[in-house]
Amino acid sequence: MAASHTAPVTAADMAAALADAARASRRVVPVGAATKLAWHDDPFETADTLSTRGLLDGFAHYAGDLVATIPAGMTLAEANARLAAAGQWLPVDPLFADRATIGGIVATNDSGPRRYRHGAPRDLIVGIEVALADGRVVHAGGRVVKNVAGYDLSRLFCGSHGSLGVVTSATFKLVPLAADSCTLVARLPTLAAALACAQALAHSPLTPSAIELQAPDPVLLIRFETTATARTQMLAATNALLQPSGAETQVVHGDAEHAVWTDHDRRISASTHTLLKVSVLPSAAVRVFTAWTPGVQWAANGRAALGVFVVRLQGTADHVATEISRLRRAAELAHGHLTMLDAPPDVKRLAGPSPEAPAAALMQAVKARFDPHAVLRRVCDGR
Amino acid sequence: MSALDSAFLSRLHAAAPGGVIDDPAERLTYESDALVHLRATPGAVVLPASAAEVQAVVRLCHERGVPFIARGHGTGLSGGALPHPDGVLIGLARLNRILDVDVPNLRVTVEPGVTNLDITRRVAPFGCYYAPDPSSQSVCSIGGNIAENSGGAHCLKYGFTVHHVLSVEAVLPDGTLTTIGSSALDAPGLDLLGVLVGSEGTLAVVTKAALRILRRPEAVLTLLAGFPSIDAAGDAVSAIIGHGIIPAAVEMMDRLTIDAAEASVQPNFPKTSAVLIVELDGPQSEVDDLFVTVERVCRQAGAETVEIARDQGQRERIWKGRKAAFAAMGRVSPNYYVQDGVVPRTRLSEVLRRIRDLEARSGLRIGNVFHAGDGNLHPLICYDEAIPGQAQHAEAVASEILQYCIDAGGAITGEHGVGADKKSYMSKMFADADLDTMQLVRCAFDPANLCNPGKVFPTPRLCGEVPGPYRQHPVERAGLGERF
Repeated sequence: MAASHTAPVTAADMAAALADAARASRRVVPVGAATKLAWHDDPFETADTLSTRGLLDGFAHYAGDLVATIPAGMTLAEANARLAAAGQWLPVDPLFADRATIGGIVATNDSGPRRYRHGAPRDLIVGIEVALADGRVVHAGGRVVKNVAGYDLSRLFCGSHGSLGVVTSATFKLVPLAADSCTLVARLPTLAAALACAQALAHSPLTPSAIELQAPDPVLLIRFETTATARTQMLAATNALLQPSGAETQVVHGDAEHAVWTDHDRRISASTHTLLKVSVLPSAAVRVFTAWTPGVQWAANGRAALGVFVVRLQGTADHVATEISRLRRAAELAHGHLTMLDAPPDVKRLAGPSPEAPAAALMQAVKARFDPHAVLRRVCDGR
Repeated sequence: MSALDSAFLSRLHAAAPGGVIDDPAERLTYESDALVHLRATPGAVVLPASAAEVQAVVRLCHERGVPFIARGHGTGLSGGALPHPDGVLIGLARLNRILDVDVPNLRVTVEPGVTNLDITRRVAPFGCYYAPDPSSQSVCSIGGNIAENSGGAHCLKYGFTVHHVLSVEAVLPDGTLTTIGSSALDAPGLDLLGVLVGSEGTLAVVTKAALRILRRPEAVLTLLAGFPSIDAAGDAVSAIIGHGIIPAAVEMMDRLTIDAAEASVQPNFPKTSAVLIVELDGPQSEVDDLFVTVERVCRQAGAETVEIARDQGQRERIWKGRKAAFAAMGRVSPNYYVQDGVVPRTRLSEVLRRIRDLEARSGLRIGNVFHAGDGNLHPLICYDEAIPGQAQHAEAVASEILQYCIDAGGAITGEHGVGADKKSYMSKMFADADLDTMQLVRCAFDPANLCNPGKVFPTPRLCGEVPGPYRQHPVERAGLGERF
């Protein structure tokens, strides 16, 4: 039977479509803009899909409360364009931010450079509506930021990759748009120096909204979003902090700043190769970025002060798989882990699975309760 | 014979040698948490000295089908640590070590019985602090904070406990010791930590936690402004946020609580109808910039007095006045009932008007102290238990206030938790399907319903068979019903 594609326009229809799939024992893959579908080692090309793109109703901006409810099918770009009318935004800047949908961003819990200040979607979500495989539409949380009534299912759905149900809308805490923004671009002589500078910044009184590493040619992008006076003083303090490391710095504003950050994203997202996420203790990051496998080209972007890096690898499947094994060991030695995002099938096969998460059995138990007929995708544990 | 027969008790002694409290009088200490009107004598009390002992106790309970309730320092205000008469109360006060301080990575690893403020004390020499600051921070435990997802005055800018816990070691209800989350960010798989934090001890017993600590901000500026009305103070809060400023904290007190605080700790607050405490923190230059706006906005909103704390001493005096507000009510009333509800911040004025009408109608005085930045209200309902029926009247008044919160699109608790106290209100805030879905998580963690049973949910749920591959029920096969 050929794969079907359904795009319900209400949460109730989405739930009904899920229940139909359960009754027919058909597996379904929820899909938003499909920018990160491959970030899950579950085949999706031939599966039935349930698109969230029809879920566009119910946008509500409670500007005075700094909260908004956003339907799953709306893109982040559109949501932020609407929120900007009241001088606010949902402060996440994931990969493919121009196309990514709210549902997909919640499902992948993806974030970007400004996670350093604002956190990931799981840190901003305050309520959720989901369609479950039993045909019901349910809610958790609410539309107030402070709320400890009942289990926090909103966070459980962040990063669940469509394994527990389909997110149909989500409510987030927002932040005001900054009065002023600029980015200091610092070229450092070595990667070790760049990482050390990032650590020093994180331990300084300065409050950048991003401390972002580019590698292998080490560059730090340090963003300040504050008042104009404070920005001037913080730039001067940052320059003083970087100077002993031999940094060459340049400050960009406006369109030039926008271009710097767009290029930064494209370094990682522009081509389809192997894409990994490496999470480690920040102080140990330097150990991960040494002794690369010969024959592998690599590039990394990362939240240097948080220890989270997105790494792109290119080379023969053998070489790339060898490098993944090395990175995996290095990450573990740095008290962290490697998560495979996207990779060609032969690379995935050669690299083998990641070690099982410590609470894997518990995750499976939760999954089995939400999706007893295994209609939805399996739990994505980075394998 | 009860489940806690002598054979069970002797095995309990073996599981936690020297940790079982046999003396019935000593067990009375554990009858309630800080919500003292809900009491039960625990079947047994054990104070394990290690995670291994916690595990042995939970394993025994699981094997024998005995309920168990974890307790931190008993400061909870919703009866979340209310004991079970046929169950084991597991007190975690002896697990009180700070195991690791990792300043380069801004992390600490602690046992659950460590007191919140002790973390800040320990890391202060390194210029760091632990951000969540519930009013009880000098006495409450981290384990309890994790159970309740505790906030505090500064959570407006810095978030709740859930934003500061990186991983926990926990004993699951079947006795398995596991790690949930990881010290590095983005642990693979489902975010079970996100749901465990705030689950009020109903999913697992936490035996260790890795927490994020923060660098102390370079500057902190605190402003105390007196307003002619609560509405005027509320307008100031809206205008501050409207200017794109997220203060570290915004607190409001009304005249009754101002008077009570004055009688208790003499913070020298202005004698106005409302006071607002606004605190900004961050780099000096930013704080200086934003403070000009905050002060101007307060005056434009009608502030009659504006006092700026110039030093740490003045700042501490202001906060002492605020943090003493609850206890100080004892100065103006023989008894009081503390409510905890949340409304969208923009609905504060409307809800406070309803509370004032209720005050006039009920004949009970109601003090209001609240986290104005996030709409978290703490009405304090004054009563005298010596007057027959007045305690029940106060409870009914408190209950009506929660309905106002729900009507305004808010929540029945912002930080005290549901516990045993508010479980009957859960159905007013959530549909049955919503509650059933939360119970799916409960059933995955604790299918036998032994871990702090009878809390959070209005009705217990039988978890049924452990799910496996889908098998059609005969009723379904006959077309007589569908499975949900």
